[in-house]
Amino acid sequence: MSGFPLPIPVIETERLVLRAPRASDIPAHVALMGSDRSKFIGGPQDEATAWRGFAGSLGHWVLNGYGMWMIADKADDTPLGRVGFINPFGWDEPELGWHLYAAAEGKGIAHEAAVAARTYGAEQLGLDGVISYIDPANVRSLALADRLGARFEREGEVMGHPCHVYRHPMIGEAA
Amino acid sequence: MTASGLKLPLDIPTVETDRLILRGPEPRDFEPLAAFFADEGRSWGFGGPKTRNEAWRWFASNIGHWALHGYGFWTVEAKGDGAIIGIVGLWNPEGWPEPELGWVMFEGSEGKGFAHEAAQAARAYAYGHMGFTTLTSNIFPGNKRSVALAERLGARYERDYTNVTHETEMAYRHPGPEALAKEGAA
Repeated sequence: MSGFPLPIPVIETERLVLRAPRASDIPAHVALMGSDRSKFIGGPQDEATAWRGFAGSLGHWVLNGYGMWMIADKADDTPLGRVGFINPFGWDEPELGWHLYAAAEGKGIAHEAAVAARTYGAEQLGLDGVISYIDPANVRSLALADRLGARFEREGEVMGHPCHVYRHPMIGEAA
Repeated sequence: MTASGLKLPLDIPTVETDRLILRGPEPRDFEPLAAFFADEGRSWGFGGPKTRNEAWRWFASNIGHWALHGYGFWTVEAKGDGAIIGIVGLWNPEGWPEPELGWVMFEGSEGKGFAHEAAQAARAYAYGHMGFTTLTSNIFPGNKRSVALAERLGARYERDYTNVTHETEMAYRHPGPEALAKEGAA
């Protein structure tokens, strides 16, 4: 018995395709969540926990109508990371989130993916002027939030972890 | 938005029995599921207790499990009044030794044979329509109600094993499709 595809929209950018996460992406996700790179996004986690998180992100799409896309290389479909809107139980409001797998860093991929997801959210999903939760020690994400034009709004908390709430510009205001 | 309240459609089959409907998860199932998980006395044999947060994540992961595997836990609804009385289904997340048939009845729904009826229907559907040729049920030592139901379903204790999230569990082996067919013919 194999699974069934979810009708998750596909977004193309110059170098990337944002598409539905699928079973073949799981090893890349498990590798990220098992590494120290996941410390700002709920990790490190063992493989069983990471698998459930991956499955949960598909359920998130079904329950909310939005969620995290897989960022794939347009040339060969390699999974590079995830970007999208996160609003599980316990969140204040939908959040724009992003993370990259190790090999994909330093090429502007997260920026390209986040701009595309944010624009799609504002235009198609009614998610405009969203927040991003960022751990103040997560320098890379802070830099990207800044580059995206998001501004510090307040100190917040997610799942008991203190973090900073950044607010993205509304679509008409984005630089 | 679909009629079920889901924001994306899910192609989950519905299974009917005399008194029950097994259907795909819907948003309105979350509250009864969260209440079940919050109750340690009921959920200890099923990975509980869980906070509402954790229960939501389990709920979402079950939907993703359907999407990834093509099977998962159905919500069990009583035909008469539409009450959400439990969950039953096939479960095989990462780390499981093999797919298992699992069941949970919510408070007030026990002692009426519902779990038996639901589990029998899920097992028959798994064998008849999903291509399964064998199934286990993983049961915590001391979960006497589940052992009794497994035995009533014809499952037999096979071995102890170490579950990736739950420590030691007992694996019960269900009769396969051929053995059940023979039994039905007898």
